[in-house]
Amino acid sequence: MLSRFYLSLLLLSGLVFIAFITLATYRELTPEWKKYQAEYREMLIKNAKDEAAREKARRIKIEQQQIYLAGLKRVDRCMNCHIGVDNPLMADAKVPFKQHSGDYLKNHPPDKFGCTICHNGQGRATNKKEAHGKGRDTHWDFPILPFKYIQNSCAQCHDYETLRHKGGEMVVKGERLFREKGCKGCHKVNGIGGDLGKALDGIGSQPIAYFPMRHVVGEQTTYNWLKQHYLDPRAIVPDSEMRVFLTEEESDLLTTYILTFRTTEVPREYRRIRYVPERRVDGESLYKMYCIACHSTGKVSVYDEILKRTIPAIMNPAFLKNADDGTLRKIIKEGRKGTQMTAWKSTAAGLTDGEINKLIRYITRERPDEAAEPFGFAEFKTDPKHGKELYDVRCALCHGEKGKGGKGALGINLTNPVVQKELDPEFLARTVRDGRSGTPMPPFGEEGLGLSDQDIADIVSYVRTLAQKK
Amino acid sequence: MSSETLDKEGVTRRDFLGLAAFGAAIFSALSVIAGTLRIFKPNVHYEESKKFKIGKPENFPEGTVRKIDERNLFIFSDSDGIYAITAVCQHLGCIVYTTEWGFQCPCHGSKYDKEGNVIGGPAPRGLPWFEITQNVDGTLVVNAGKEVPKGTKYIFA
Repeated sequence: MLSRFYLSLLLLSGLVFIAFITLATYRELTPEWKKYQAEYREMLIKNAKDEAAREKARRIKIEQQQIYLAGLKRVDRCMNCHIGVDNPLMADAKVPFKQHSGDYLKNHPPDKFGCTICHNGQGRATNKKEAHGKGRDTHWDFPILPFKYIQNSCAQCHDYETLRHKGGEMVVKGERLFREKGCKGCHKVNGIGGDLGKALDGIGSQPIAYFPMRHVVGEQTTYNWLKQHYLDPRAIVPDSEMRVFLTEEESDLLTTYILTFRTTEVPREYRRIRYVPERRVDGESLYKMYCIACHSTGKVSVYDEILKRTIPAIMNPAFLKNADDGTLRKIIKEGRKGTQMTAWKSTAAGLTDGEINKLIRYITRERPDEAAEPFGFAEFKTDPKHGKELYDVRCALCHGEKGKGGKGALGINLTNPVVQKELDPEFLARTVRDGRSGTPMPPFGEEGLGLSDQDIADIVSYVRTLAQKK
Repeated sequence: MSSETLDKEGVTRRDFLGLAAFGAAIFSALSVIAGTLRIFKPNVHYEESKKFKIGKPENFPEGTVRKIDERNLFIFSDSDGIYAITAVCQHLGCIVYTTEWGFQCPCHGSKYDKEGNVIGGPAPRGLPWFEITQNVDGTLVVNAGKEVPKGTKYIFA
């Protein structure tokens, strides 16, 4: 005979178990989507034009809707709730019954394309929260895309030439921004571009966890990260060196475009890309693509708070007069070690010699006709001590006592490796003699502030010793 | 037993407790079994739907003979209505083609008449016909999972 205690325990646990089973059964039998489908049927019965249509509506079964897409490796169950998506009678109905806007479904029938290929979200889920994939607790990396970013999906199958005329303006504008704001000056795409930033290949397919979401305001999604990062890079990644100056609208457009960098590719039978020959890129486009982010107009050198250095004015006639094509080619191809200037040769950042030549032609289009008068630095016997005396009086005000230039000072940092090792002393001497018009650097030569060539040679020789005096 | 108090029906309290406890236990066990068996009948299968849309009735005017390649299916339309016949030979699954007399299989020579009945070759049975229904928005839906008797033709508005 079992004791009363054990019988009570058995009864209690049995009742608790039955309660759970009842709850589970209830939840299984009344999912969210059944309510929507029942409401849809009611709407159709109520609005039926004639008895035949009413009868047809009555015969609609409430059942799990699924689109199985073998080619896309997707299973979409969105139509469990968005049941009227391809029903013209639902054109004015409320969401989720509403018919799909526009005539997109005419060329993209849902039984061939499904929904998530364009809209993202979790196709297999059968409740709203998980299907839309929003929020960290859904553990879904590709939440449903807001309308303003949706066009990035078009670019999976269509080329930009087509999108330009057929409803893909936003992603086309984004692509243009990407080319003209100099993103590739720091970011590689397909192996071409600078190396200061991260390569952007596949960034649109990256899991959310790969982005530092800590400072993102609002939903922690890839697109929010991207957008907020364009508006203020350092608010999202505190030590970012990214130079980006976009309006709110431009940020949205660029986000749309960046999301097209995916690692997944839609099967060939879905794609409608016309393989147009690549556009011929001129020097100006190349300059915008690779240089403009740092050098901007190239006319004035300014101290940059983000990069913590002075960015040279590479299109300044005074500079061009002094720097011949060979020098420029060497600088562009090899970069400037110790600075942010990337080596652009084909084995590094990936520009071809032809492209570099086009760039040089573009940069030097305002070069004055007469070349700089040679200085002949090698012929002087230099005296760094005398140079120091002159430096302290003439140069230290702008370039700093120790040549470090920097914050607040007008002159560039003279201790950087470029000035110290890579630049020809001849070039430095000419610069001191002729100055840099368009920058605060005045000409110190006999025609300017009256230093003799010997004095200038002494100063240059002293400047070249600055790095050792640390 | 005599020391137990009896209720109206003459069941002792302990008996009632025992009955309820074991009843609850058995009910729980049965519901677990029922729940487990439920797993074998999923709401949907991970496979291509057997139902698919073929468009509006006006796309199939009288005299239409259309093969839908990706579904291996013929859609015909004559004065009696629209009907769907499979293109999969019932012998070994090759895809048949239409001829003057009906259907011909290219693999082992099975022949079918216009209604899909076997008239020659190794095919063990005729080509099945499938159900066609109409959606509320007017599109026709073929249900390749549901056979209908030969000669079932549908007329849609």
